[in-house]
Amino acid sequence: MLARVAKYRWQYVMIAPAVVLLFLFSYIPMAGIQVAFKDFHLGYTIWNSPWVGWDNFSFLQDEQFWVVVKNTLWIAVLKLVFGFPAPIILALLINEVRHSKFKHFVQSVSYLPHFFSWIVVAYILQSMLTLDGGLVNQFITKLGGNPIFFLGSTDWFRPMIVGSGLWKEVGWNTILYLAAITTIDPQQYEAAKVEGAGRLAQIRNITIPGMLPTISIVLILSMPSLIAVGMDQIYPLMNPANQPVADVLDTYILRSGLQQGYFGMATAIGLLSSAISLILVLITNQTAKRINGEGLW
Amino acid sequence: MKQSTSEKVGQLLIVLLLILLCVSVLYPFLYMLAISLNVGSDAAKGGVYLWPRKFTLYNFQVVLGNSVIQHSYLITIARTIIGTVSGLLITLLAAFGLSYRVLPLRRTLLGYVLITMLFNGGLIPFYIQLHELSLLNSFWVYIVPSAFSAWNMFVMMKFIQGIPDALVESAEIDGAHPFRVLWSIILPLSKPMLAALGLFTGVFHWNDWFAGAFFISDQNLIPVQTFLQQLLSAQDMSTVLGSNNNIEALARGSMMANVTLMSIKMAVVMVSALPILCVYPFLQKYFVKGVLIGSVKG
Repeated sequence: MLARVAKYRWQYVMIAPAVVLLFLFSYIPMAGIQVAFKDFHLGYTIWNSPWVGWDNFSFLQDEQFWVVVKNTLWIAVLKLVFGFPAPIILALLINEVRHSKFKHFVQSVSYLPHFFSWIVVAYILQSMLTLDGGLVNQFITKLGGNPIFFLGSTDWFRPMIVGSGLWKEVGWNTILYLAAITTIDPQQYEAAKVEGAGRLAQIRNITIPGMLPTISIVLILSMPSLIAVGMDQIYPLMNPANQPVADVLDTYILRSGLQQGYFGMATAIGLLSSAISLILVLITNQTAKRINGEGLW
Repeated sequence: MKQSTSEKVGQLLIVLLLILLCVSVLYPFLYMLAISLNVGSDAAKGGVYLWPRKFTLYNFQVVLGNSVIQHSYLITIARTIIGTVSGLLITLLAAFGLSYRVLPLRRTLLGYVLITMLFNGGLIPFYIQLHELSLLNSFWVYIVPSAFSAWNMFVMMKFIQGIPDALVESAEIDGAHPFRVLWSIILPLSKPMLAALGLFTGVFHWNDWFAGAFFISDQNLIPVQTFLQQLLSAQDMSTVLGSNNNIEALARGSMMANVTLMSIKMAVVMVSALPILCVYPFLQKYFVKGVLIGSVKG
C-alpha cells in the first residue's frame, strides 16, 4: 500500500491544495455548527465558548421568526410554481421555431441576463419601476392612473421577485431542456406523422415524455436552493417599506448574525433551514422515483 | 412540406412571443443607456425611451472621475484575474490528480469532495472561520475561500477521463513526470472546457457583491458591485460625489444642476455591465458547451 501511495505522490501533491481548502472552508465551518448550541462572541473560538444547550433556539417562540418562515415559504412556492415550468415552456416554444438563425438569436438573447448580477437587476427594476420617473409609472400617469410605488409596496414585492427571477434565469434554464429535446429519436416523430399526429399531439406524446428524466433531475437539484431564496436577489431590494413581506430566512440570518452579533441564534436558524432543505430533497427524490422509476440516487 | 393554416398561425404566435421576450431582455439595457447618455435634469422630465434627447457624456465623466469607483474597478479587475487564474489552476490540478482511476484512496478523496456539495455549515460558521483565519477585511477573502470549486472539479475530471488513456500512457512510458503530462497533453486538450469554466469563474468574481458587503469594512477594498449595492439605496449624491477627483472641475463647469441621482446611477450600472456585454458574444459557444458537459454527463 505505502509503495503504491508513494508511486502516486505527485498526484497527491496536486490534490493537496483542494483538500486543504475544503478542510478550511467547508469542514471546519461544518464543525462550527456547534455554535448553534453555544454562547459565541467574536474573540472566543468555536471550541472554547460555553455550551448553552437549546437557548439559541428561543427564536422559535418569536412571532417575527414565523412571519419570516411564512415569507420564505411564499416566495419559495411562487418561484417553484412559476419558475419551474417556464423554461420547459420556453424550450418547447424555441424548439418549434423552424428558422434556425432566429432560433439561435432568441437563445443568445435569453441567456444574457443570467450573466448580470442581481445588483444590476435591482437597478433595472429601479429604473423601470421607481416612483419618480420610472418608465412604468410614466406610462401609468400618461394613461391617467395613479403612480404605484412598486419598490416599497408589500403587495407588489412578491410579483416583482418572481418576475425578475423569471426574467433573469428562464433562458439559461432552457439550455438543459433543449439539449434533452435533441436526444429524442427523430424516428418517433416520423412514426407519429405517419399516424397523423399534429404538432400539439407530438409535443404531448413525444417531446414532453422525452424531457421527463431531465425535468425530474432539474426539479430535485433545485430543491436545496428553494429555501435559500435569494439573499442575492432579495437583500438588494429589501427596504423598510416592504420588509414585512421581504424578510426571509437568509436576510434574517444576515441581520441577526452579522449585523446584530447573535451568532449562536443565527447559526441555529441556519441549521434549521439546512435541515428543511435536506428533507425537501429527500421527499422530491422519493416522489421522482415513484413517478418515473428513477431518482437521483 | 406543406403547412396547414393552423400551423402557420401557431408559428406566427410563437415567433411573436419570442420577439416579445427578446425585447423585454434587451430594452431595459437600451433604456438605461439612453438615460445615462442624456442630460440628467432633462431625463427627469420623462419622455426619454430609446435615444438620448439631450446627448451628454457628462454622467460618465462624473462616474469615471470618482476615485472610489476607480478604486473599486481596480479591485474588481484584480480579483477577477487572480481569482480566475488561481481557481482554475487549483481545480484543474485536483481534477487531474483524481482522474487517475487506479489512485489509492481515490474513492475516499472523491467522497471527501462530494460531501461538501451536499452539506455546509451555513453563513455564520463560515464567517467565524474567515475571522479566525484573519481573512475578514482582506483582499484575499475574495480569492482563497472560492479558489477550489467542487462542482467545476467534477466537470473537469469527467472531461479529462474522456481523453484517451493511450495518450497519457505513452507519455508515461517515455518517462514523463505527471506535471509534464498535465502541461503537455491534458492542458492543450482541455482548452474548451477551461474556457467555459474560466468564464463562469470570471463572471462570478465580476458579479459578486456579497463578500465585499459583509466580509469587508475597508471602503478601499470593495469591488464595483458592492459599490453599486451601496449606491442602490442612496437618497442623495454624496456617495458618488463625496470623493470626486474632479469635483472642482465640476463646480467650475457649473454643470452639477444637470446631473440627477438617476442619471448617475444608470451611468454606474452601464460602466459595470459593459464589460460583460462586450465579451458575451465571443464566449457564448463555450459556456453552453460547459453547461451541457457539466450537467448532462455529470
